[in-house]
Amino acid sequence: MRIFLYSVETSLKSLWREKWINLLTVLSISIGLLIISAFATITHNLDSVLKRWSRDFGLVVYLNDGLSKEAEDTLTAFFRHDADISGIKYISKEQALEELRLTLGEQSPVLEGFEDNPLPSSFELTLKQERLDPVFVQRKASEIKRLNGVEEVQYGEKWLSSLNALANIMKVSVVFLGGAVFIAIAFITYSTIKIFFYRRKDEIETLKLLGATRSFIRLPFLLEGLFIGIMAGAVSALGLFGVYSLVMSKVAGFLPSINIVMVPLPLKAYMPAPLAGALMSFLGSFVAVGTIKY
Amino acid sequence: MIRFTNVSKSYDSDIVLKDISLSIEKGEFAFLTGPSGVGKTTLLKLVYCAERPDEGEIVVAGWDLKKIKPGTIPFLRRNVGIVFQDFRLLMNKTVFDNVALALRIHDMHPQEIKQYVGDVLKEVKLKHKENIFPQHLSGGEQQRVVIARAMVAKPTVLLADEPTGNLDAETSGAIMKLFRGINAKGTTVLIATHNDSLFHGMGRRVFYLKDARIEKERIE
Ligand SMILES: Nc1ncnc2c1ncn2[C@@H]1O[C@H](COP(=O)(O)OP(=O)(O)OP(=O)(O)O)[C@@H](O)[C@H]1O
Ligand SMILES: [Mg+2]
Repeated sequence: MRIFLYSVETSLKSLWREKWINLLTVLSISIGLLIISAFATITHNLDSVLKRWSRDFGLVVYLNDGLSKEAEDTLTAFFRHDADISGIKYISKEQALEELRLTLGEQSPVLEGFEDNPLPSSFELTLKQERLDPVFVQRKASEIKRLNGVEEVQYGEKWLSSLNALANIMKVSVVFLGGAVFIAIAFITYSTIKIFFYRRKDEIETLKLLGATRSFIRLPFLLEGLFIGIMAGAVSALGLFGVYSLVMSKVAGFLPSINIVMVPLPLKAYMPAPLAGALMSFLGSFVAVGTIKY
Repeated sequence: MIRFTNVSKSYDSDIVLKDISLSIEKGEFAFLTGPSGVGKTTLLKLVYCAERPDEGEIVVAGWDLKKIKPGTIPFLRRNVGIVFQDFRLLMNKTVFDNVALALRIHDMHPQEIKQYVGDVLKEVKLKHKENIFPQHLSGGEQQRVVIARAMVAKPTVLLADEPTGNLDAETSGAIMKLFRGINAKGTTVLIATHNDSLFHGMGRRVFYLKDARIEKERIE
């Protein structure tokens, strides 16, 4: 335990003595972590936007003109039995026209130009929460479209599918980029610790001759790597918080809808970067110190 | 305490020690002498496992060095205090910290470390320089720091390689007195030196190294 405390002291001293190299190392690592956190955050936001939008959209099922009451009832019954559907709202031709009239307000007289009611009857379907992924919505829509009496199904498909494709690309890139960044972190710490290790080669030799054990020699270096990683993680978490808050407050000024896209990050979203940084940095220093031979 | 049996050691093709056998008993105070380059330092290095013999057996404080595991070597060395010929002081640490290092590796309590280091620095008359860095000390003062570090952990064996090389006759005398003191408390002492005035008239065993062999062994 005292050896541990002494190692902590030694590593902190070394952090301070070599503050410029360490600062550079910490900054390089935190930039890497910041890039990956930013990517992950954007992806996360995109994902949650997709979820919410597909919830709002629901499915609008337009019916063939002049569909019989029995056929409509059959469809109602069918939707009611579908386990994926949580809400059904029937809108008749007349209701649709009334709604349109209300929406148009003062311009509603333009509707007088039509002899017949041009609007179709429709169902507005709400899907169960857990079924709200874009791919599923798409499949469900084409399934319903094949039913008898259905003219058209709308669900904002263009938006959904392109956003979804983007989100998927982002997810894959986050994984690859993350992997690359983590390896880079381990490597950066590896080279810094290796430099320190070589610089203190004489001192290490003396320690060995005085009877120091392997862990006594190793521990300060490992701790130093760990501290570098934690500091870099903290810096990047602060950076992410800063950038994110800035974007949310500044962009919201001229683009209020950004608040729909960006949700405030929960505290735990700031944790992975420091943890990953610490872990990879520790790993880097572990490899750098290697085995001590007697 | 230290026993060599038919030990040979060469660097590349250069034979430094050939068929050395010697035995130093527990509590003994012995000397190793011979001309420069004869292999005194090499022999001491064999004792603390910094070099391995090509042939022969070495037993130190009960450890058979042929069978010792790398992980055990630190524990052997904690029983052996060493005054290195090249000092091996850490230049980025103060006198106090240099000496304290020999105790820190033992996981000793800081309060105790302070006590032990303070006492030994008083013995070598360097208490007033404990916060100074070694490069600001004279050669003789550095020498005494090294001696303090070797003694502070109260080792069972003390090896001193040319411990008075940088000292005047008077200080040498004081240092030899320190060694006699630690020897009186039970530590086995082996001193390598080419300065024969250190052992003349001491009545101690002296091993004479010449041409890779122990030429003679006698009480001076
Ligand atoms: N690591 C090494 N590699 C090759 N040769 C070495 C090595 N160490 C020592 N030698 C050689 O071994 C011989 C003995 O060296 P050693 O240092 O043991 O002598 P010494 O008796 O201590 O001399 P001095 O009184 O000058 O300190 C020398 O010829 C030296 O050049
Ligand atoms: Mg020598």
